[in-house]
Amino acid sequence: MTLPDPGIVLYSGAIGLVVIGIAGIVLSRNLFRILLALAIAEAGANMLLVLAGFRFDAIAPIVTGASTAMVDPVPQAMVLTAIVIGVGIQALALSLILQVYRIYGTLDMRVLSQKLEQSISAEAGVMPGNSQDAPLDDWSMPATASVVAQLEKQS
Amino acid sequence: MSGAPGMIMLTVALPLLAAFLLPVLDRVSATLARVTGPALLALGVVMVWQLWASASPASVIAIGGFAPPLGIVFYIDRLSLLFTLLVLLLTLMLWPYGKDTSIREMSLTLLLAAAACGLALSGDIFNIYVFYELASVASFGLVSATRTGPAFIAAVRYVIISGFGTVLALTGIALVYTQTGTLNLAQLSQLAPQQLDNVIGMIAFVLILLGIGVKAELFPVNTWVPEVYATAKKRVTALLAGLISKLAVIVLVRLLVLVFHSEQALQILLVLGVLGVISGELAAWRSRDVSRMLAYSSIGQIGLVFIAFSIPGEAGVMAGLALALHHLVAKPALFLLADRWGNSIAGLRGAAKASPVAAALFVLFALSLVGVPPLPGFWAKLLLVTGLLSQPASAYWLAMAVILLATVLEANYFFRVVVTLYDAPEHTSTAASAQGHGRLNLATSAVFGVALLAAVIFITPVQQYLHATSVQVSDTQAYIDSVFAHNGERQ
Repeated sequence: MTLPDPGIVLYSGAIGLVVIGIAGIVLSRNLFRILLALAIAEAGANMLLVLAGFRFDAIAPIVTGASTAMVDPVPQAMVLTAIVIGVGIQALALSLILQVYRIYGTLDMRVLSQKLEQSISAEAGVMPGNSQDAPLDDWSMPATASVVAQLEKQS
Repeated sequence: MSGAPGMIMLTVALPLLAAFLLPVLDRVSATLARVTGPALLALGVVMVWQLWASASPASVIAIGGFAPPLGIVFYIDRLSLLFTLLVLLLTLMLWPYGKDTSIREMSLTLLLAAAACGLALSGDIFNIYVFYELASVASFGLVSATRTGPAFIAAVRYVIISGFGTVLALTGIALVYTQTGTLNLAQLSQLAPQQLDNVIGMIAFVLILLGIGVKAELFPVNTWVPEVYATAKKRVTALLAGLISKLAVIVLVRLLVLVFHSEQALQILLVLGVLGVISGELAAWRSRDVSRMLAYSSIGQIGLVFIAFSIPGEAGVMAGLALALHHLVAKPALFLLADRWGNSIAGLRGAAKASPVAAALFVLFALSLVGVPPLPGFWAKLLLVTGLLSQPASAYWLAMAVILLATVLEANYFFRVVVTLYDAPEHTSTAASAQGHGRLNLATSAVFGVALLAAVIFITPVQQYLHATSVQVSDTQAYIDSVFAHNGERQ
């Protein structure tokens, strides 16, 4: 069995990381997991950027006077910038998540969005049931019932 | 002070420097720190105004003296000058003047202004990404500045959607780089017909569109809009809804005109714009509180801007610019007025008695947004509709039907508020009493109102100016020539 071309492996690895990350962002309910998924997706995007200028037959882009081919240094400089920005934003997001946990005692996205909806509606003096997502009648779906029970337990 | 084009660098550099020095300056002298921000912004307005008056056609600044294809350039033309001026003016108007404002908020506002100026000026796709992230970080801080639970939840969700957008945009930029090997917009524009006119180029466009579309309130990635606008301070909301969304739109338009001007790209923009209008206007019609009504209506209005830019040629660019500028004046003022009355529509009952000027201003802006004739909103929508009519494709006709329906919805939900405002109060309501920064907000929205009325009187010069701007924006060859012919005026 022969291994496939390393370029294809690397590219599919990078795109795979982005896909895993995006799936995590969409599917997770825990805020911290969502943030981790975001970090994975960012790693994938950065890897894609490095690969954009990478050559297997070249050396690291350090000018030594030797006349061998060098890897394109521009993407590497950009990835450095992107990593720094990414770390900064993740740190900021973590501190915000910490504040949310201190105030509400939960990181469950569904519970939190219900609380958000409630407090905005309460401030406006309207019933949260008037929002566009609410079912028309009095019946509620099992998932909603469990969330409501959880809300009641906490308050 | 001479009007040298290099001066424009200072509109980015000075606020950026001051943003980080403000906390230190605050230790030395609190008064000085409070004055610094507005003073710098005013200085920036004067500088840009001088450049505007000297009116050279288009010039390029190579940062650090590195020549364009490799170095980063700032591109100065009518569009970027106009938006730099608007950034500085709006930040100056919506500056947190209140006595209880923390120094951190001022720093972040300056950071936002610097990043926004950079977005308007930059001619390099990666540099645009960096400024975009800078603007994002500043807006995260500003949004959570109220330090309440709901604001934190909204901010976290905003950070996550933004981070998601960042990943998409970065992947798109990486794809563009694999295809062309450059990040300079002018060089990309030269190479695009051969190297980006394929599936990968299209995927890159969609990724960048969705990535930058987060700030531009583009249809699928705008779920943060209502919750953030409802929980943040209203002056911050006004800044984000009025200014930052428009800047993201302008960046997208630059990319669209210079790099991705294929028919499919325009169709994607048209479809997303139409979906934005439908979802935004329907949600606004259904919402029961003023903040979220205005937020959803903002999504709808920006959908209109995207529909306008999807019309090929100068007519589309002009209609889009007119709509964007009109929204930039009207929406911040509406948010500031809404702050005055609290959040609920029912609480507005009889508010016109208590504050007749504010109610009159609200009616003015609502009429203009709906598009009632002498007001500029009518003229902007007329440009859009005539632009759509001139297109043979049936998709554009469908878009026009959607726009007309959306206008009916807009009229319905705005007039619902207006009727409540002028309703006789059942009992003396306390909600109508202005509290906090009521007076300041009223003055700011009055300035916006004066600008709107001035546009009615000076509609012909405005029209000529926008026409010249859209001709210049659409001229891709001139952009390429000026970047490479000048080869950079040394800083």
